[in-house]
Amino acid sequence: MLALALAAVFYAPRHPAHASPSRPLGSAVLVDARVPGTSAALAQGRTLFDENCSSCHGTQAQGSSLAPNLRGLGSATVDLWVSSGWMPLANPGVQPARKPSHFTPSQTLGIARYVASLAPGGLAIPTVDLKGASSAEGFSVFALNCAPCHTITGAGDALSNGIVAPPLHGVTGTQIEEAVRTGPGNMPRFSTFTVSKQQLADVVDYVTRYVEHPDSPGGGLTLGGVGPVAEGFVGLFAGVGLCVLIALWIGDRNESSGESEPGHGDGSHDEGPGTETPEREVAHA
Amino acid sequence: MIDSLFSWIDDRVALSRSGRHLLDKIFPDHWSFMIGEIALYSFIVLMLTGVFLTLYFVPSSTPVVYHGVYAPLRGQTVSAAFDSTVNLSFQVRGGLLMRQMHHWAANIFVGAIVVHMLRVFFTGAFRRPREANWMLGTTLLILAIFNGFLGYSLPDDLISGTGIRIAFSIMESIPFVGTYLAYFLFGGSFPGTAIIPRFFILHVLVLPLLIIGLLAGHLGMLVKHKHAQFPGKGARDDNVVGSPLWPTYAAKAGGFFFLTTGVTALLGAIVQINPIWQYGQYYAYKVSYAVQPDWYMGWLDGALRVMPSWELNLPGHMIPTVFFPAVLLPGLTFNLIYAWPFIEAKLSGDTAEHHLLERPRDKPLRTAIGAAVFAFYFVLFGASATDVLANYLSLSLNVVLWAFRILCIVVPIVVFPVTYKICLELRATPGAGQRKRHNLVVRTADGGYTTIAAEEYPGYVKAELEPVALDQVDLVSAMAADADQGTEGVYQIPRDYR
Ligand code: HEC
Ligand code: HEC
Repeated sequence: MLALALAAVFYAPRHPAHASPSRPLGSAVLVDARVPGTSAALAQGRTLFDENCSSCHGTQAQGSSLAPNLRGLGSATVDLWVSSGWMPLANPGVQPARKPSHFTPSQTLGIARYVASLAPGGLAIPTVDLKGASSAEGFSVFALNCAPCHTITGAGDALSNGIVAPPLHGVTGTQIEEAVRTGPGNMPRFSTFTVSKQQLADVVDYVTRYVEHPDSPGGGLTLGGVGPVAEGFVGLFAGVGLCVLIALWIGDRNESSGESEPGHGDGSHDEGPGTETPEREVAHA
Repeated sequence: MIDSLFSWIDDRVALSRSGRHLLDKIFPDHWSFMIGEIALYSFIVLMLTGVFLTLYFVPSSTPVVYHGVYAPLRGQTVSAAFDSTVNLSFQVRGGLLMRQMHHWAANIFVGAIVVHMLRVFFTGAFRRPREANWMLGTTLLILAIFNGFLGYSLPDDLISGTGIRIAFSIMESIPFVGTYLAYFLFGGSFPGTAIIPRFFILHVLVLPLLIIGLLAGHLGMLVKHKHAQFPGKGARDDNVVGSPLWPTYAAKAGGFFFLTTGVTALLGAIVQINPIWQYGQYYAYKVSYAVQPDWYMGWLDGALRVMPSWELNLPGHMIPTVFFPAVLLPGLTFNLIYAWPFIEAKLSGDTAEHHLLERPRDKPLRTAIGAAVFAFYFVLFGASATDVLANYLSLSLNVVLWAFRILCIVVPIVVFPVTYKICLELRATPGAGQRKRHNLVVRTADGGYTTIAAEEYPGYVKAELEPVALDQVDLVSAMAADADQGTEGVYQIPRDYR
């Protein structure tokens, strides 16, 4: 029961990826993944690691010429990289892209705890607590700290040198905290001096409630949140384009009524351009 | 009853004589002549929705605390301008729709002006006697762009604030006078508190009045010169062939107005534009990565992006990089547009009056130059989206940037000869662009197949009516006669008909 309550706080409905039904909620006692304990989960994590990760990261996660050392990274880092689908890496040499995770949340947790158990250090998977979080504060902190890379709408964008700040549209609260505290890839790590614990909860609240639903409270299709470029294309091609098509339709009506001049004898005056005839069906040789 | 009321009024005001002239104005029938109307109608939509917005907008940068319905902003200190814009979006019935329609209409307005100018350019409609009207139209384009930028800035949100900041530094980059100019317009250093009220007055009063005045001049000159026309049956340099304003053209134009408004309303209702509540209030220390201006400033933004950082060090004065793409380029651009009718007259030595339009293919040089120049600006426009493209194509931003640097030189160089060649080919191919006759495959009695050309069916070639001369026939009786015959008439008047 306690475990369930914990899990409910931990994986509140805000985190759809983790709230998937396949997750055996009861097994989650996730206060600190480095604390040895549920050895069954560890064993499962070890198997999964050996099968999916060791080819690159080495059997003891010590790293290889293909991939970095994971020892001492802590479960938060591993959980983020696996739950966001970045790992196992699909194209080496390219910044990993978000995709559906290979593993269920409990498998992910197993891997994370297994890697964390290999060496001390690093950060444990954080507990997201949104009690008392303020989306208004979160918006401010977000605009100040995250918008310079992820853009103010959270749509993400290409930074210089092939680095991409990914969109924040599908991320979970846990992943946000993990990313902010561990600084994956080219993202800086934010310490509690820059973004306090409360501020981080505020950011999570803002991102999961507003950035992920750019269509609320209103206005219609959001065009990906990329701003005036997309709007310009719609304005020009849908707006002006449609009007020009209408001009074509209206403007040529008079000429077409010339077609049905008496003498041509098809007698239908009120049809638009191209009062076509049955020859339409004729095959083109 | 109504008739007698009209004649009573008419007796006092005596409008019908001059009115009759206006109603008898003959409009040549071609769809491309209606593109300018899109601009006119979206301008009307702009004014109508704009009046609505002014009822709720507070043009002031006084700080206030937001207490509206959008939770993430609640409790934040924002300017009265931003506050009122968010409130009019969420707490005024129909407010968001009006705002979005206004913004879409602005995008369509400038877009339609550009397309209209392309039409005028490529058909040679700017030639004597219409050079002055061409220049007037160019001025309208500049005013429209400028007013769009001002309106975009009014909500005082993060993205437009960044835009104003760029505008400020562009102004500052003008040699010698720049700093004074910028401080004069902004009432001090950036951002200050004067811009919002100043921009507001310019946006809702000064520039609209200028636009209305020039628009009246633009249309007045159109009436005076009478519309140019494509050569066709009966169309000559000294007459105008087409449908009368009343009733034919009025019905078309009225319908077109409603449809244009409909398109704007449709976009306003279903496509979000400028969701300022997601951007938040502008503060100089807050930035979002990669913001762009509205599309009609996009080519300038693109030029700023592709420009390598070169500075010019004159003795005692340094000209910063932004000067070249953001001051010199638009300066050259608009002066070139203004001067084009005279440049072309000089080059071709043709200074005669022209009322018959030319098909683009018949003037390959002009068409090729126009296409190449347009392609250049189109590439610059694309360059304002370097980051978005890099993101969507999963390319490095630097690769995309360099691609645009190369493209904005290469594309015009390629477009020019290709367009030229296409024009020549089209000219050399009789019937190009017209539908071909069908070939019928016929099965013969003994089982073989042969092919024969199909008969031309009615309407195969657009049959054009012989225009009825209006100076001999009374318009009303002419139309009545046509109606009896079941046709819609085409009429002509001499070009100097008053
Ligand atoms: C195809 C080889 C490959 C496989 C398989 C692979 N990884 Fe990786 N991994 C990499 C590379 C390369 C990096 C460095 C990527 C980067 O920095 O962009 C990396 C980085 C990581 C990091 C981040 C390290 C850091 O310093 O921040 C974690 C955590 C990680 N991998 C975990 C895993 C786990 C867990 C698995 C198994 C589910 C796995 N990886 C499978 C190649 C691989
Ligand atoms: C310097 C630019 C930069 C800043 C500032 C930044 N990020 Fe990131 N962020 C990145 C990059 C780059 C990645 C992708 C990491 C990788 O794979 O290399 C990323 C990844 C993420 C992810 C993971 C996305 C996923 O698909 O799983 C989250 C969540 C995230 N950032 C949240 C934030 C938040 C919240 C802030 C503000 C506190 C922030 N970021 C600030 C650059 C940045």
